[in-house]
Amino acid sequence: MRPDVRGAVRPDVHGEVRPDVRGDVHSDVRSDVRRDRGRHGRDLRRVADGARLAARGLVYVVVGGTALLVIATVASVLGPMFAWDLWGRYGPAVAAWWTVFTAVVVQGVPFLMLGTLVSAAIGAFVPEQVFRRLLPRNQALAVPVAGAAGVVLPGCECASVPVADSLMRRGVAPAAALAFLLSAPAINPVVLVATSIAFPDSPEMVVGRLVASLATAVVMGWLWVRFGSDKWLPPRGRRPAAQTPTSPGDRWGEFRGGVQHDFLHAGGFLVVGSAAAATFNIVVPGSMLAAFTESPWLSVLLLAVLAVLLCVCSEADEFVAASLTGFSPTARLAFMVVGPMVDLKLIALQSGTFGRAFAIRFSAATWVVAVASSVLVGWWLL
Amino acid sequence: MRRNVQAGLLVLCGAAVLRISLFSEVYLRYVKASLRPYLILSGGLLITLGLLGAVAAWTASRKPQETKHEHEHEHEHEHESTNHGHGHDHTSGPRVGWLLAIPAAALLLFPPPALGSYSAEREEAARIAQRVGTFDALPAGDPVDLTLNQFTSRAVYDSGGSMTGRAVRLTGFVTRDPDGTWYATRLQISCCAADSRPIKVAIRDAPAPPPGTWVTITGTWHPKGTPGTDEAWPPTLDATTVKRVPQPESPYENW
Repeated sequence: MRPDVRGAVRPDVHGEVRPDVRGDVHSDVRSDVRRDRGRHGRDLRRVADGARLAARGLVYVVVGGTALLVIATVASVLGPMFAWDLWGRYGPAVAAWWTVFTAVVVQGVPFLMLGTLVSAAIGAFVPEQVFRRLLPRNQALAVPVAGAAGVVLPGCECASVPVADSLMRRGVAPAAALAFLLSAPAINPVVLVATSIAFPDSPEMVVGRLVASLATAVVMGWLWVRFGSDKWLPPRGRRPAAQTPTSPGDRWGEFRGGVQHDFLHAGGFLVVGSAAAATFNIVVPGSMLAAFTESPWLSVLLLAVLAVLLCVCSEADEFVAASLTGFSPTARLAFMVVGPMVDLKLIALQSGTFGRAFAIRFSAATWVVAVASSVLVGWWLL
Repeated sequence: MRRNVQAGLLVLCGAAVLRISLFSEVYLRYVKASLRPYLILSGGLLITLGLLGAVAAWTASRKPQETKHEHEHEHEHEHESTNHGHGHDHTSGPRVGWLLAIPAAALLLFPPPALGSYSAEREEAARIAQRVGTFDALPAGDPVDLTLNQFTSRAVYDSGGSMTGRAVRLTGFVTRDPDGTWYATRLQISCCAADSRPIKVAIRDAPAPPPGTWVTITGTWHPKGTPGTDEAWPPTLDATTVKRVPQPESPYENW
């Protein structure tokens, strides 16, 4: 370093002192100055500048360093206290959120697996003609048939979205596939048995749930036939390879690829929905609801909104409904009818599968129809 | 998302599910016990699918390798060439699938704890709905081990008084009311932790341990009120001994 530095500051070489070496070259500069008197004043000023800069730098370092040290010390003492205070206040809530989030994802995985296996199997192994032959040509007739066929898929709502998607790709009319999508999680035997266990004294609750859910699904299917537009759905044949499996080997490959794609896709949206569900689960304590139970109309709407926010699995929501003892039976029925058809988790899954434009319109319409049908059925049966 | 990454994610999810269901009892913190076989099955399927997917991605990447090579040779100086080369390897994998890595990694590295007194204190205790009637005689044992649910339904709905004079043993964690009453509490789930509801048995004749402690209490039923009426709530136990215990493997009761 030294020789370079000396060369750099020698006035007969460059005639200038580099500002970046000012501190180090102090003594050398002085001897050079003695040799060349004519530049003496300028050089001296430069040296003084350098010294001043060095001193200023030293001051900055000392003052700034001290300040930093103080800040660091204060932060390291107060920071943990503050963090500890935050943790004391919100820590249990965060931990509970994390647990509920994980729980919703974990319990969704087997059902998602079932749903993606069934949907991939439909996509890879079932020829299109099968559904054309099974379902009536007339869409208005196909809707109730498909709605009633929801009985055969014993799962919760996570399973039905990929299945409905693959039904559409196999050429089933969207109206029929949507009726199936809505009815499957609500009227399958597992759910109905669970409902009868949750309401041991009121079998009419089971009947009410079956009737109201099926009615909602069928009405939504018919509404789609009348008003729906295929423009709201993503273009058919997104995965052209899925349409024409050729050899048996290709079909297995297609099946595997379908499961892989659908699971990751729906799983990602399950994670989004679970985060939303966990958030509302922690933010809205059940006991807060007691305040709203006075008006029967308000309580129906409240539970219908709650069903959307809480995203309880359709195999568990009857127990939650049964525990909401302050509410009228109709309100609880609305909770069980809306829950499997519209909730945050489902909206996330549907917008992933069918697009956001579809999910928002469809969920909003379904919510209205589901509330109306549970009020009618509740007034008639309960 | 590239194919082998998709396969890796599937294996990661499968490993996480198996880690909590097959290799430990951790799954009981999140879901009911009866879901275990389905979890193990799904975990195994996910790993199998992931491995098959990796094999498929590997064979698929070998085939277009030669064409890709030529491509890159032709457009050596063009930036597109790298994109182009990748284009053969990946199908349009769903990017949202990455989110699955969050819960999967969490389950593998630091599985979240079971819900406890925080959740229990926020909710009203669940009141099991049931018909009043007679119950079968309690099983043999002195004391006889009961779940809070069994104790509650017998305490509130049993017109035959089957628990009269029997020593029973209950396990739960401690919660307290502002008025000083303390309870042995468990969370009940019907499907997963998201639908948990606390169930509480009031404990008399013993000083309250700190809230959140798990305890096993031996004592006798304290009858009150007519079965099935509001006066019968909450179910109450006269404690003879209160012993601290570690949190059980299965922290919840079933509805």
